Amino acid sequence: MPDSAPLVRIEGLHKSYGGVVKVLQGLDIEMKAGDRVVVIGPSGGGKSTLLRVLMGLEKIDSGSVSFAGKSYISADGGRTAIDAKVRRSIGMVFQHYTLFPHLSVLGNLVLAPMKVRGEKRAAAEERAMALLTRFGLAQKARSYPAQLSGGQKQRVAIARALMLDPKLMLFDEVTSALDPELVAEVEQVILQLAQQQMPMVIVTHDMWFARNIASRVIFCAGGVVVEDGPPEQVLGSPKGERTREFIERVFHIRH
Amino acid sequence: MTLDFAIVVKYQDALLLGLWMTLKLTLICILFGCVLGFLLALARTSSNVVLRGVSSVYVEFFRGTPVLVQLFWIFFCLPLVLGIELSNLASGVIALTLYMGAISSETFRAALKAVGREQMDACVALGLSPFARTTSVVLPQAVLRAAPTLLSNCVSLFKESALVSAVGMADLMFVGQNISNNTARPIEVLTVVALIYFAIAFPLTRAVTVMEGCILKKLAI
Ligand SMILES: Nc1ncnc2c1ncn2[C@@H]1O[C@H](COP(=O)(O)OP(=O)(O)OP(=O)(O)O)[C@@H](O)[C@H]1O
Ligand SMILES: [Mg+2]
Repeated sequence: MPDSAPLVRIEGLHKSYGGVVKVLQGLDIEMKAGDRVVVIGPSGGGKSTLLRVLMGLEKIDSGSVSFAGKSYISADGGRTAIDAKVRRSIGMVFQHYTLFPHLSVLGNLVLAPMKVRGEKRAAAEERAMALLTRFGLAQKARSYPAQLSGGQKQRVAIARALMLDPKLMLFDEVTSALDPELVAEVEQVILQLAQQQMPMVIVTHDMWFARNIASRVIFCAGGVVVEDGPPEQVLGSPKGERTREFIERVFHIRH
Repeated sequence: MTLDFAIVVKYQDALLLGLWMTLKLTLICILFGCVLGFLLALARTSSNVVLRGVSSVYVEFFRGTPVLVQLFWIFFCLPLVLGIELSNLASGVIALTLYMGAISSETFRAALKAVGREQMDACVALGLSPFARTTSVVLPQAVLRAAPTLLSNCVSLFKESALVSAVGMADLMFVGQNISNNTARPIEVLTVVALIYFAIAFPLTRAVTVMEGCILKKLAI
């Protein structure tokens, strides 16, 4: 892939729930391979919806998404076509962990590699242990999700997504359900990934985290991109009135 | 009137044979009934209107009619409709399996609902195929969640199985009735029969409570 070709190209994306709740209304975003995009915006503005669309979890009304130059999601005549092979190169971590409660930590990590890629259990477990060790969770490999703290669960969820060697990671408010003292351990893991040049799209309300992780910040409101630029600019001296108002309200009061 | 429980001891072999038949019948019907119930639950939650309709009618019908009537219908009417002879065992198995399928499908349906959309999202995000989703995530979680209620369903089936004596299957109830008729000792014999049913069902109903606690703790995330 040439350096200039975008990793993700979203064009004219429209998405509604049942045709009534119009959430995304003509979204155009181009993301380069080196980008770490932080998406901010008012509650109900469609940030989660955008990530869910990118993960291939939602139907769209119109528009298209391509990934690494290949068509990934398209809408024609009320049907949404999603390329399952492309989808496999994208990983997502949700706000509420969504670990599989009936499987151990190790079981959670090896399930997809074994079922999706046909990897042997021994090989998958070896990779899983390496990841868990890196995330400081090796001693929890045999525990069940219910026995973990929120921060540990979320780190396991990140490790589980990484087991499939994603080319893009999506994080949807992954620390909002955590007790404040557990936020840092999860953010550290994501910062670690950033250092390894993992492309990512992150939805967060955490100003410190946004500043430290973003190479680019997008302010989404009313289903469109309102402002898009480097973090210093969008977070520090936003151009638009709406952006400024939002950032003052959400970030500066909290931090 | 004097009670003579020693008389029951004389007939213990016959009673044990009857018990064995009851257990065999119950276990077979639990097995088939649970498979049927799980499939019915999947059908009832499917997006296909026909599947949903057929399975709903089935479940509501079997939950809304007496098991005894179902049993008689299968014993007397089904052979006429199909034009084949059915053995006592076969009709007993069919009737109780259909009954178990109906009641366990409700249990599975509730459990499937509890597995929830977030788990499905996680499956899709991990690229799991619909088959892998069902067998590796949905089924084990649904079974775990359903286990306590399923066990109570099994206990109900075990008790309802006494109805097959009405169509002449030699189960515990049938044997007990015969002995009590022949010996004219209904109090002793039927009391013992009741105690045998109770001795098996009671520990199982206690187990349901214990199990509920354990499973809720494990699945609480
Ligand atoms: N499954 C759904 N069905 C119907 N409406 C939905 C559904 N999911 C989200 N919505 C609606 O779509 C809009 C956008 O929701 P979304 O979750 O994408 O917002 P968000 O920007 O992530 O907000 P938040 O910051 O609160 O997480 C909201 O009005 C929400 O009520
Ligand atoms: Mg959201």
